[in-house]
Amino acid sequence: MSQPPELDPITLEVILSGLRSVTDETYIALMKSAFSTNIKERNDHSTALIDPAGRMISLCERSQPIHLSSMLGLTGALLRKYDLDAFRPGDIFVSNDPYTADGSHLPDVALSMPVFVDGELLCFMCNIAHHADIGGMAPGSMSGGMTEIYQEGLRIPPVRLFNQGEVVADIFDLLLLNARVPDERRGDYYAQIAACKLGERRIKELAATHGRGHLATAFDQLIERTHARMLKAIANVAPGAYRFEDVMDDDGFGAAAMPIAVEITVGDPALGGRIRCDFAGSSPAVLGNINVPFRALQSSIVYAVRALLDPDVPSNQGMLDAIEIDAPAGSILNAAFPAAVAGRANTCQRVIDVVLGALAPALPERAVGAANGANTAVIFSGTDGETGRSYVYLETVGGGFGGRATKDGKDGVQVHLINTSNLPVEAIETEYPLLVESYGFVPDSGGAGTHRGGLGLRRVIRPVDHTTTFTGQGERFLTPPWGVFGGASGGTGGFKLRKADGTVCDMPTKPGLTPITPDQALIVETAGAGGYGPPERRSREKRTEDISSEKFSPTFMAEHYGND
Amino acid sequence: MSWTLGIDVGGTFTDVCAYEPSTGLTHYHKRPSTPANPAEAILAGIGELCAATGLHPRDIGRIAHGTTVATNALIEKRPCRVALITTEGFRDLLEIGRQVRPSIYDLQKDNPPPIVPRHLRFEVAERVTRGGRIVQALEDAEIARVVAQVAAAEPDAVAVCLLFSYLTDAHELRLGEALRRAMPEVEISLSCEVRPEFREYERLSTTVLNAYLQPIMHTYLTRLEDGIEETVGPVPLGINQSSGGLISAGRARTFPIRTALSGPAAGVAGAVHLARQIGEPNAITLDIGGTSSDVALLRGFSASTIHERWVEGYPVRMPSVDIDAIGAGGGSIAWVDTDGLVKVGPRSAGAVPGPACYGRGGTKPTVSDANLFLGRLSADGLLSGSMPMQVDAAAAVIAELAKETGLSQEWAALGIIDIAVANMVRGIRAISVERGHDPRDFTLIAYGGAGPLHAASVARALGIRRIMVPRHPGLLCAQGLIVADQLEHFVRTVHLPLNDALAAALAPVLAELRMQAEEWFSAQEVEPGDAHTETRLEMRYLGQNFELAVPFSGKGDDDPAALEEAFSAAHDEAYGFHNPGAPIEITSVRIAASGRHHRDMEPAQAASDTAATPTPIASRPVWFDRSGAVETAIYDRAKLAYGHRIEGPAIIEQLDTTVVVFPKDVASVDARHNLLIEVSA
Repeated sequence: MSQPPELDPITLEVILSGLRSVTDETYIALMKSAFSTNIKERNDHSTALIDPAGRMISLCERSQPIHLSSMLGLTGALLRKYDLDAFRPGDIFVSNDPYTADGSHLPDVALSMPVFVDGELLCFMCNIAHHADIGGMAPGSMSGGMTEIYQEGLRIPPVRLFNQGEVVADIFDLLLLNARVPDERRGDYYAQIAACKLGERRIKELAATHGRGHLATAFDQLIERTHARMLKAIANVAPGAYRFEDVMDDDGFGAAAMPIAVEITVGDPALGGRIRCDFAGSSPAVLGNINVPFRALQSSIVYAVRALLDPDVPSNQGMLDAIEIDAPAGSILNAAFPAAVAGRANTCQRVIDVVLGALAPALPERAVGAANGANTAVIFSGTDGETGRSYVYLETVGGGFGGRATKDGKDGVQVHLINTSNLPVEAIETEYPLLVESYGFVPDSGGAGTHRGGLGLRRVIRPVDHTTTFTGQGERFLTPPWGVFGGASGGTGGFKLRKADGTVCDMPTKPGLTPITPDQALIVETAGAGGYGPPERRSREKRTEDISSEKFSPTFMAEHYGND
Repeated sequence: MSWTLGIDVGGTFTDVCAYEPSTGLTHYHKRPSTPANPAEAILAGIGELCAATGLHPRDIGRIAHGTTVATNALIEKRPCRVALITTEGFRDLLEIGRQVRPSIYDLQKDNPPPIVPRHLRFEVAERVTRGGRIVQALEDAEIARVVAQVAAAEPDAVAVCLLFSYLTDAHELRLGEALRRAMPEVEISLSCEVRPEFREYERLSTTVLNAYLQPIMHTYLTRLEDGIEETVGPVPLGINQSSGGLISAGRARTFPIRTALSGPAAGVAGAVHLARQIGEPNAITLDIGGTSSDVALLRGFSASTIHERWVEGYPVRMPSVDIDAIGAGGGSIAWVDTDGLVKVGPRSAGAVPGPACYGRGGTKPTVSDANLFLGRLSADGLLSGSMPMQVDAAAAVIAELAKETGLSQEWAALGIIDIAVANMVRGIRAISVERGHDPRDFTLIAYGGAGPLHAASVARALGIRRIMVPRHPGLLCAQGLIVADQLEHFVRTVHLPLNDALAAALAPVLAELRMQAEEWFSAQEVEPGDAHTETRLEMRYLGQNFELAVPFSGKGDDDPAALEEAFSAAHDEAYGFHNPGAPIEITSVRIAASGRHHRDMEPAQAASDTAATPTPIASRPVWFDRSGAVETAIYDRAKLAYGHRIEGPAIIEQLDTTVVVFPKDVASVDARHNLLIEVSA
């Protein structure tokens, strides 16, 4: 085959804009028509376009970063499982399994639809939605206390959900039967299906405008250009080997202080301008469910490298291919069957911390103190006495974001890989028999520094007229978020139970099913973040504000900044 | 004689449009704005218009005004000391918001700081929960304590937002009363009065912004009213609100947040008026300015209303005309990214220095430079002749881009426009899918300085076949103000399932809302014949969090089956499917009350006797695509008459814009001097 003609940079940009438009539109369509608050309000979903070689072409910019490479997982698994001529127009495939479909955890259900133009396969329209429940032993399919993948929910290998335009009812029934709140699941699946179909329609229109051949050529050239762009950005990092190590709190099953270690290499001639992240020295896989499948590790590293080197780089294969990743097979960062993985986001956040920590000396103006570094999840379930309906309420709570070269960190935000909204208190109390007593910052939790770390969040929730069942996942409850260039560590978080007599007792970082009675309350506190630069250089104006805002106590200020 | 004035204040120009309904006479005047005190340009503009036309100021009967004072105050972060009272345990809510970062990947980008700093946020012991049930009553002693604290902080304005006050407002009302008693000179905003709607953070943010704007708007409107009183007399002053109708100046003082997006809303009102004139119920409006483009979808001769949007990084829960801004305009700068791809915007050359062709120091190629270089814009500038263009300067900056990309200058210039158009198209597509419509079925109404210049390319890319360019594309906002209705929305949040008890449950809510509407009609002195109400039910599947508005007459359609059918149809239209049998609930009841000021401003004319094909004033080579320049006839819009037909390629120039007619497209002039362009396939 002769080399296709080079598309000029203007035609390419116009095509890129068209491809982005497709992933934008499918993202919005999925969000607008979904049923669960997890997608509509928290936007825990993503859309992408992947080519027949399994390469990422375009990922909607609003996608959750952790979905990036598991989005490739399903299509990659399909391409391994089937010959290209097995795909038919109107087919839609579904999967979620980390071990047979390269997923990242079971609640993230991926759909992939082959799109044909002029009878030829041009690409796959893909999306992922985080389903609020996928079955398994605990409501929400995310709680601690699970030690193998089978306990975490229904495992879906790559299978057809639609066969040439017809729903495969047998499969759909099976999926719905194995999840709690099946009506909500059905609505979310419909939304995912509608997004695939809209994408198919739009791709066909795009092909009618630009020609199928031009689009396929554009795929290649966009990837090549993005790859070159990434190599250029990597070349700005001084050659060398950069090491960093941190630890995870524990896995809830006896393993504690598990190391997450990285060595990042830049400028090694064998890499051809790419960057290598080697996680040798990280902990073996653990019994608890915070193991990371390889695709989720890749998503995390891609996030960290992109945020540090080129936040505006297009999300396509050219960017992914600029990063070489090594993680020992069977380690906590490259989990092997049947390791439990539901809470992998906590470990992913720590991976990002160590990558950012390792590169901090090389990129001091872009470095940040360690953040909340967790994906603290709280899940309540029970039966609403007023309506008689059973409920599952899942939420992840943000925390502090690290101090930066020119300004303080951020207080009470989702950090790094996670950027999902909270659920309004009025929505929580209307939909679930719970009362949120308070929601605010944790004073003194931001690490001192020239630019201080952000504050963690605190939420107090109590069940109304019934006993609720709580499970949770916390991290950085024992291991504080470190500062950089002399900045101090931020405060750690914790789950606490307030008893009827008002006394408060600590809970484990990853509590299993725990009943909470109406005279008790659950307190969740998340970690703050590390500071940037030595505290003694913090301006008087900033220190005055720290006190007047009551975000920091006079005792804390005296301890970290001295009395002046 | 009783003249109506429409006054639109933009960042650069203040437009005054005067209209006399009994004679059909109109006058227009455009003058530079005075951003430091916008009232100055308005009063001067009225004076200048009267002087130029002989209109006597005392013959002015009514003034309708669109203002950007609220928006500008937020952009400029004008200081205003606001205190806030929240439910105990929630003083950080304003700062936490929805706990998200504005950009996932950019570690340096932050949300704007909260309008109320933490030390001015006070908590009060009280609690209401689901169903509006009071869990902890608000004690008088607690009110006294917190009011004393707030008063000691000496704020310019106070916002109060308590949990579930959209269902039970007693606590907020008591606090409001106590605050007003203790601080009679300080403006107070209660969330149950500003926007009694579900979702505490959005309601809180809206209430706080309202409080922040109250002192600013008060000062501005007082100045303006005093000035008008002096020159014109005591005539009613209507302020255009974001939802596209006029409210009294008094109401704008109490609820200034309602005017935060007043400017573009007026343009859409003008476009709606035009759509009615040409009998085109479904249209997309495209207003392209210097830095951005505003787009709205019209269906059944009306723009839809959205209930939430972001203003300068803060969420506002308030009805507004559903207009989206796209970051592409005439001043958008073209640049080469590190991967060699050409990007246009979001950076803009703005008014200063402006595009290179303005000759005021711009050194980067912009969309306007490309249009000039390709011959689409005249080297003499707009027909007003006030600003000749520097072709050499445009050519020089485009040559640099051409060199960087290895393309010819012409291809580079065409590329700048193609990419800017692609950005607009991407924006319009996202907006369309969000509303559940296909842009192909719409007519494009193009206005603003650069709208008619790019309309044909945008239309072609979207599959649109028909473009309408109004007679005065630069004055549509001021015209829109004259025809704008007096408008108010009345809302009650409910949670009603579709069952047999529905009709009985709806009746008292509807009765209360209708009574509020009636009271408003009489307060606004709306004549019975001009009074209209429209009821909508916001419905969703139980568990869904986005609502769809379903029109409701109350005559035979209040049974559950009919409502389910109407909702299913709306869901089908929006999302392409519905869920048979899934439980549905009504979440709010809305009545939109309007007092009509509709007038047919540009009466239709008789066909002219002149030839059906007008005479060009000049010709020049123009590039439409990569195949090369075409010698193109240039027409003066002012010389076109009803019935004239122009086959493309053609350029039609007028005082405030330039219209590009592509080869094979056909432009014709209608009875009101609008240009209609049929886009060839």
